[in-house]
Amino acid sequence: MNEQRTVRDALYEQPDAGTRKKITLVTVVSLFAIAVFMLYILKLFKDNGQFDEKYWSFFMRLTTWKFIGEGLLGTVEASLLAGVLALLIGFVFMVMRISFYKPLNMAGTALTEFTRGVPTLLFIYFFFLYVPKMGINLPSIWRVSLPVAISASGMVAEVLRSGVNAVPKGQREAALSIGMRETMVFTKIIFPQAIRYVIPALVSDLVIVVKDTTFSYIVNFPDLMQNAKVLISNYDALLSVYLMAAVIYVLINYLLNKVSVTLAKRGGMVPVVGR
Amino acid sequence: MNSEVNVTEKDSDKTIVELKHVEKYYGELHALKDINLQVKKGEVVVLIGPSGSGKSTLCRTINRLESINSGEILIEGKKLPEGGAELAGLRAEIGMVFQSFNLFAHKSILDNVCMGPVDVLHRPKEEVKKEAMELLKRVGVDSQAQKMPAQLSGGQQQRAAIARSLAMHPKVMLFDEPTSALDPEMIQEVLDVMIELANEGMTMIVVTHEMNFARRVANRVVFMADGAIVEENTPEEFFTAPKSERAKEFLESINRH
Repeated sequence: MNEQRTVRDALYEQPDAGTRKKITLVTVVSLFAIAVFMLYILKLFKDNGQFDEKYWSFFMRLTTWKFIGEGLLGTVEASLLAGVLALLIGFVFMVMRISFYKPLNMAGTALTEFTRGVPTLLFIYFFFLYVPKMGINLPSIWRVSLPVAISASGMVAEVLRSGVNAVPKGQREAALSIGMRETMVFTKIIFPQAIRYVIPALVSDLVIVVKDTTFSYIVNFPDLMQNAKVLISNYDALLSVYLMAAVIYVLINYLLNKVSVTLAKRGGMVPVVGR
Repeated sequence: MNSEVNVTEKDSDKTIVELKHVEKYYGELHALKDINLQVKKGEVVVLIGPSGSGKSTLCRTINRLESINSGEILIEGKKLPEGGAELAGLRAEIGMVFQSFNLFAHKSILDNVCMGPVDVLHRPKEEVKKEAMELLKRVGVDSQAQKMPAQLSGGQQQRAAIARSLAMHPKVMLFDEPTSALDPEMIQEVLDVMIELANEGMTMIVVTHEMNFARRVANRVVFMADGAIVEENTPEEFFTAPKSERAKEFLESINRH
């Protein structure tokens, strides 16, 4: 059996018999406490009539699921667009920030910090309330995806930069020594490795992007959240619909994490020891 | 252009690398002090000296991985360019082998060797591939061609790195402590490849602690201490009768083991 299988195994020594007993005891007690708490919540729901048939029966209808499906599609579209935009904008910010030219470098830093610091909602309001006044009419998907992307771009830029910094210096030197120019060194050697280092972190950012697309309801883009709201007003069923929406969001993000783990494993690059 | 020079000059007299009054500072530290060095075609020059003596720095100034503060570095009589396409073009003609191999971690061994000729020299892929396989065969890692660098042993990686340099048909090869990061049992396989190269007439500048290698293949040993060249001699003379105190001390300190 492999001895060090988890981070916990790697960080702590093997527990002795006494400690193992304590661990078992604490586990049982806390599981019990959690179960009691869950039952209490369920009881609260029940007392409030949340399990009444009227709150759940419409989930049996195909039209309901078609509507949810349309919302889900909207969420996927908005997330994909926002994700791609965030990657592109973040990449530009990162390249600016690592540039040798001082002004570019400073602008990159400023933009990164600005987009990281401002809440997504402010960007949404800007694109929803102000941009149309300037005579620019964006389609509704862009009104959510662009601000969400801008809001995430600073984070993405920092993640990409950490990846670039993680590539050993020797990789660049070796590339230079066979006659590559700086641009080629970056595009062919540094960046392809950097991206492999940071795929898991990038997917975490994508999860935030997916969650931020729930701002769609502000700009009237029919995403999962917006359609959930419509269902709620149609059937007067707040909790059951939001619960269903929450489950779907969890599933989407769980799937994303699975993809990232697979991608990271498939990358096939074991980092080399080097300077 | 090459052939013109060959007609008018005897091959072995041709100076490939020349350093004139080279000075380098790292802030306060005077890393290279008035370095003067000439390397002729086909020569194998070994740089030795205690750690921190500037031998690696010297090696790295020759393809400008390290810049210099003053003095001149000439490659085949032409001044080393400071940057841009000319510098890249010149680096393409100077092979370099690093202590930590520095194979491109995201590319297979074969791709590592092919990348320079294909992406920098824009040679046709198929032709380069064939030549790369021959080079890998020559250094004994052709069976590993499709593997990723991390899947190879240190010795195999370093031999592949040598093949990557050779694929560019360099005029001179720089070796910056090529065996220092290797496990003892892998040092010889790398040295064997280097010895073979030397015997084939490759011009080589080698920073190393492998005294036996220096004894066997060096035409000249350059001993450095505190950023300066202290002594320059044939290996026989240097190892049997060093002239300077510093060299004597250094040789004693390594012979104690």
